[in-house]
This record gives sequence, structure tokens and C-alpha cells, in this order.
Amino acid sequence: MEKWFEEKGNFSDVVISSRVRLARNLREYPFSTRMSAEGAASLVNEVMGQLSGLTDSDGVFYFCNLSKLSKAERIAMMERHVLSPQIVNKKQETGLIVSKNESLSIMVNEEDHLRIQGMAGGMHIEKAFQLANEIDDIASSKMEFAFDEKYGYLTTCPTNVGTGLRASYMVFLPALSAAGKLKLLSEELNKYGITLRGMYGEGSEGTVNIYQISNQKTLGNKEQEIIDNLNNIVLQVIRQERKRREYVLMNNYDIIEDQIYRSYGVLKYARQINTKDAMTLLSQIKFGFDTGILKSQNKEDNIFRLMMEIQPYNLLQREGKMLGNIQRDKIRAEYIRTMLPIL
Amino acid sequence: MLCSRCHKREAKIYYTEISNGEKKEQFLCEECAGEYTSFQNQSEAGEMTIGGLLSSIISNYYADSISKEEEELLKLQCPTCKMTYEQLMNEGKFGCADCYHVFKQVMDKGIRQIQGADVHTGKRPAGYVKQEEEEIKLTEIDKLTIELQAAVQREEYEKAAKLRDQIKELRKQEELEKKAESAREV
Repeated sequence: MEKWFEEKGNFSDVVISSRVRLARNLREYPFSTRMSAEGAASLVNEVMGQLSGLTDSDGVFYFCNLSKLSKAERIAMMERHVLSPQIVNKKQETGLIVSKNESLSIMVNEEDHLRIQGMAGGMHIEKAFQLANEIDDIASSKMEFAFDEKYGYLTTCPTNVGTGLRASYMVFLPALSAAGKLKLLSEELNKYGITLRGMYGEGSEGTVNIYQISNQKTLGNKEQEIIDNLNNIVLQVIRQERKRREYVLMNNYDIIEDQIYRSYGVLKYARQINTKDAMTLLSQIKFGFDTGILKSQNKEDNIFRLMMEIQPYNLLQREGKMLGNIQRDKIRAEYIRTMLPIL
Repeated sequence: MLCSRCHKREAKIYYTEISNGEKKEQFLCEECAGEYTSFQNQSEAGEMTIGGLLSSIISNYYADSISKEEEELLKLQCPTCKMTYEQLMNEGKFGCADCYHVFKQVMDKGIRQIQGADVHTGKRPAGYVKQEEEEIKLTEIDKLTIELQAAVQREEYEKAAKLRDQIKELRKQEELEKKAESAREV
């Protein structure tokens, strides 16, 4: 059965993806703050062993000891939001269990022993939750989690205790952002226990206008209540962003149209482009596709995927070799030229 | 408004500090707030901005009554992972599952402030059985202290005063017994 917010049609003009994360710790090990190197190795070993053989419809999950991967490979996974910055930089042994399409992943020995993460494209947080929740059920049947009658699932940081659940939406808010409304919006959301945070910050990575909206509190409400509350708020944000887009297009259509086509032109013909410029321009043409100013011949106009693929380490990984800056910028420009949706 | 400390950057954080019964108000920029308080910039702190505030929440709570209560707390240490009260306040994070019980007295308040709630109502691990042991381990004084905290929270001061006297009485008796014991050993 479709959920109410899925029935109301497509929110893909604003919502990029949905994510649910569950924090879990094993009863028998100290938390990461007091974990020894031997303890970490034994934890990773035990979790990987207990969960070995996990599968989904695409086949067996990929199990890997992160210390066996190169730093470049780890950063590439971080750019795709499979790994957190914290685990990428960790010196101790850490592990990753991930499904083939990367929609389900488990980080082992991050801040908590297990960080189970479900991801789904668009506004499908129920699906993301279901993915993570099923794995949680399997894991808790094989290992004893630290759980308390009063406080629920015990976590390293008291900001995660209880359900250990952080639900988040990645959203594209170019119009609210251009109108300078985000600070106000963020303060407003805070009152409802919701956090708004930049996903790709302004500055070094260009002006991308992608944000993350997530619940702050993890204790007191049931999992479903946390998700419902977040959904209600996000629907309000979507409404505001759409209203603002309508307003700016009504008043400045010609200028915006020109700007978007210029951006498309640069991406289509540039021979060298750095990440910052590419991200800013891609954000502009994403706005073009989402509002219907640009229409692609082929249905495939997933600009967000392109944004991830042109990140430095994902580019390196595709090339399979280390590249200098200039060479990388050339390859990036070439890749964008071939992948750009045709108008 | 510019930061009241460096006078250079825009102030973003309103910081109130109560120490030795004196209230100090400051408008700080993120950088100064990071140095001056336990408040961390989001990008530095990763996901945890509230965690860093933990110590300020709790130490403020006890600031006007540092006295004996804090002295007692400073002695607390988790027997399992050896985390001390001071380390917990500095790091804002627990060392192991048992810490939640060892530091219960202080953390109840902190967790309520961070989470706005103090009882989990969501999912439980399959096959989880409620454990009653913890209750039994509590001494009479512990139980009365919990009741006392609750009474203060509800602003039932008469009841609180009675409980305080009861605890005092029990402590006195304990001291006497200890003295008697050590006298016997000598």
C-alpha cells in the first residue's frame, strides 16, 4: 500500500533522497570513546562474522575491512554518502557491509558500534526505514545490543540515545536560499526539533543549495512518530520552496532562463572545469530541469547523480589512476559533456 | 552585532554563564564560542552540536551549588570502562553501556534537557526481557535521593526537605557504623 505522502505524487523537484540511520552498540564492548585497538579489531571481526551472508534481491552484500581500502576509495564512498567523514578518518580498524546498489549499509566501529543506514531516492523515507529496520532485526537476533529499560538503545553520545534513529531528507532549496530565507527557516525548524544543515557547504564546493533536514531528538517518541513529524515539516518546506520558485519565475523569468541556458552552454562546451564551478552550474541546470525551463529528450535527467560522479575521488576511481589537477578538470569536463541530458 | 570577545566577526551565539552565583552574558561569534565554551562549530563537530553543550548544561545546573554535591560527583567512576565524571563532562560522550547507570544521578537531567524526554517508547530488541536487578542494587539512600530529585523537580519543597533530613539521618548512621567498625578493627 502506498503511504499518504507518496500518493500525493512526486516531490522530486525538491526532495533528492531519504535516509534513515540506526545507532546500535554491542553490550559486551566498551563504546568507541573507550575502545582499544584490539577491541576494535575483535568488534569488527565479530560483527562481520555474525552478519556474513546477508543478501537482498541483488545478491550477497559486500563485506570489507576499511583499512584494506585505499584512502582514495574511502573518500570516494564518502562523496557518495555511504561512509561518514568520521569513519573515513578513523585510525582504528573499521568495517563496512554494503548492498550492491548501496541503498543499505552498515558502518562498523564508527561513533557507535553499528550504524545501520537505509537510503532511497526521492521522498521514500518509509522504504529507507524498512531497509534499516529489517537489518536491525536480523542483527539483534545474533548479537546482544546495549539496551536499557528506561533509555532504550544506549549510544556513545546522549544525543542519539533511545531509538538511535536519525531520519533525514536531502533537499534542493535554491529559491529559498537565494531569497535569504534559510536562516529564518532553520530557526523555525529548530522549534520543532528539526535541524537544517548544508549538505555541500557554500564556498569551496560552490553554491549548490542542497541541504539536509533531520530530526534532532531520538528519545521519547516512537520511530514512526519521529518519521511522521519529519514528514509533516518537510512537506511544509516543500510548499514554501515551490511558492518561492513560482514567485521568482513570475518576476524574473527572462533573466533566470538566460542564466540557466548559459550554464548549460558552459557545461556542454567547457574543456576544463573544477569541482566548484561544475557544482554551481549543475545546481543551476538542476533548477532548470526541476522547474521545466529545460526539458531533456532522454528521460534521464538525474543531475544529482552527476554531481556525485564528478567529485574528485569518484572521478579518480572511474579513471583508475591518480591524476593531477588540470588533467582531472579536463576529464571532468569530458565526463559532463557525455553525461549531460540532451535538450 | 559584533562578537563581544574578538570584536571582529558577527556574533551568532548568545552565551549565558553562571559561575559562583554570578550571571555573565555574552554575544559570541562561532570561533570564539568554540574556544571559550564547549560549543563546537557544526562542521568541526560533525553531527554533534548538542553533545558538546552537555557539560555546560550540567555544570550550569550545579554551578550555584558546587559544594558537597559536586565533590561527591567528582569521585564517580565507571567500574567497567573507568570513565570518570570529569572525563564525561569534558567529552560529552559515554564510555560504555554501564556509564548510563553509574552517572544516572547527573545524566538524568542532562538527557532530559537534550532530548526533551526521558523514557524510550519505541522499538525493543527481539526477546529483550526487563531486568529488575538494577533496582535491587540501589541502597536506601540512593532511592531517597532519586525521590528527592523528583520532589525538587515538581517543586514540592516540603516533601523535599523531609527527604533531605531522612537522607542526612541515614548518612549519620552510616558514619557511626563505619566508625564503630574501624574502632573494632583497631
